[in-house]
Amino acid sequence: MAMVKDLLEEKFTQVWYVTPTSTIGDALKLMAEQQIGAVLVVEAGRIVGVFSERDFARKAVQAEISMATQVGELMAHPVYYVTPEQSVESCMALMTQKRFRHLPVLDQGKLVGVISIGDVVKQIILEKDQTIQSLEDYIWVHMI
Amino acid sequence: MATVSNLLKVKGKDVWTVQSGTQVKDTLRLMAEKNIGAVLVLDGAKIVGVFSERDYARHAARRESMLLNDPVDDFMTRAVFYVSPSQTVEEVMALMTSKHIRHLPVLEDEQLVGVISIGDVVKKLMDEKETTIQGLENYILGRDFSH
Repeated sequence: MAMVKDLLEEKFTQVWYVTPTSTIGDALKLMAEQQIGAVLVVEAGRIVGVFSERDFARKAVQAEISMATQVGELMAHPVYYVTPEQSVESCMALMTQKRFRHLPVLDQGKLVGVISIGDVVKQIILEKDQTIQSLEDYIWVHMI
Repeated sequence: MATVSNLLKVKGKDVWTVQSGTQVKDTLRLMAEKNIGAVLVLDGAKIVGVFSERDYARHAARRESMLLNDPVDDFMTRAVFYVSPSQTVEEVMALMTSKHIRHLPVLEDEQLVGVISIGDVVKKLMDEKETTIQGLENYILGRDFSH
């Protein structure tokens, strides 16, 4: 059963972040440039929130905001995270239940990466395909 | 092999749409109210685009404006991919992955009959694989037990 660290090893994940005092305009520009749907919000080396396209789209019609509004006002928190030793399946469960597309990975409090729902789904489908393959092989060898 | 039509049976045929010319703020309100990430934009009964949270975030960043009073048409994605009810879940998954899209309208005889999301598709694919695994395990155990 694959763990979070296996996913991180497969691809180098650059983690993009802003600070609570960054403006919405700057955060959105960063997300557009990097083609990402969310950025972490970091203050003094600590993750204090996440700001996503969804947070922006929802708050745009719920509150008086502008491009100059600070990210701290709109970000989602607390932030859920996973650790490198957790199973990929447990991430899937958390992402499905909370409807998250991304989860930061913390190793002893230190940010070591971000995993996306796409990475998680790909891994789980791969594992199921491998299980199917080995069961079929077993049948061919032992039962036919 | 599961098809799009099987998916629609489970999730129902609710489709959230706005008419061409609707202001961004009203469109965002609908998306918030229904807790959805994208809506179809129609001109009468004809689909003219899709407007998503991503479209909104990208255009707002580029124009440095909230865009709330502008018509949704200015920011929607016009190239809309479709699927038909008879297509397999695998085909749909491949299309969504290659085009990086999370939602696909389902058209039957040019009529809009539903929208499916990447979440629906993934769930179905995983369920199918799980069923296959169960079936193979039962086959192996069943044969062993009969000896």
